[in-house]
Amino acid sequence: MSYSDKVIDHYNHPRNVGSMDKASTDVGTGLVGAPECGDVMKLQIKVNRETNVIEDAKFKTFGCGSAIASSSLATEWVKGKTVDEALAIKNMDIVKELSLPPVKIHCSVLAEDAIRAAIGDWKKKQEATTPVAAEAK
Amino acid sequence: MRAAHFCESCGKVQPPVPVDYFSFFGLPPRLSLDVAALEKSFYELSRKLHPDLNARAGSQEQEWSLEQSSLLNDAYRTLRDPIKRTEYLLHLEGVLLEEQSKSATEQARATGELKKQIVPPDLLEEVFELNLHLEELRMNKKMGDDDPALFEEIGKAKLSLEAKHEALLRELQTYWKEWDGLIDRGPDASTTDRQRVSGKLVDVLNRRNYIRNLVRDVNAAMEN
Repeated sequence: MSYSDKVIDHYNHPRNVGSMDKASTDVGTGLVGAPECGDVMKLQIKVNRETNVIEDAKFKTFGCGSAIASSSLATEWVKGKTVDEALAIKNMDIVKELSLPPVKIHCSVLAEDAIRAAIGDWKKKQEATTPVAAEAK
Repeated sequence: MRAAHFCESCGKVQPPVPVDYFSFFGLPPRLSLDVAALEKSFYELSRKLHPDLNARAGSQEQEWSLEQSSLLNDAYRTLRDPIKRTEYLLHLEGVLLEEQSKSATEQARATGELKKQIVPPDLLEEVFELNLHLEELRMNKKMGDDDPALFEEIGKAKLSLEAKHEALLRELQTYWKEWDGLIDRGPDASTTDRQRVSGKLVDVLNRRNYIRNLVRDVNAAMEN
């Protein structure tokens, strides 16, 4: 199986590799795994609380070239998007962009899972830190 | 009943009929399998089906014996291996591992709820941490550095992984027994029961995949 040029580019020059402070309330962390191949992917986002815009994103993936490329692309795409816009990213968008073959679709699924998990983690933190307005009854 | 590999009256090799690997050996789809008996039956059949032994037969018969032999080899290789056997059974049950994960993601997308990760979070954390250590070890080696403490830590992790792997195989065997119980019950076993047990089998195989990859990576990193 041969990788597309875009996959090779992301693999050789992964964007946004690294990590952020997991404990920070601005940071959401998603740690997900693809059971089919045993890959593991960590994706973190830093969100502006005023605007809900994702200002920074980092990832670290242990897995095949397609998994690394999918997560690298995912960090590029979420940066500058609002949380809601980022939630609209679908795995098939990644498949198209990277020309992933059918056997590597699970890598794109993993990347979408990672985005969702990171946003989910961030949302949970916001609920915990901002007092919920009492509902008028 | 075993698929008819030979003609009942003349004993000649018959064309292969599309059957699953269990039926090929005349076995019920049970997972606790007597591997010694399987091997015996493999050698018996492979002698009788071998194309060379049918060299004097007609070309049609030779062709059939070639096809039968290759089916026999595939069936044997799949069934003798505990993991391949389980995966094959799940395939027969129509469980598509990939589809499962994809449809769970689609559901999460539609409902806005978080997808339940198939692999437990603490295992994911452990896998991630160990991978970081392995990367460090590889970097050290590249630079010609030696970090005995790191090496020792990875060695410990390796032992713990191997223990986990063993435990998972034992766990798998308990679900084999559950599955075999359903097969023994015959048509009384409901689809829900089958799905419940096959779900457990999938779960163990998934966790095992993680561990297996890690053990492989740890070995590679320590040897190089």
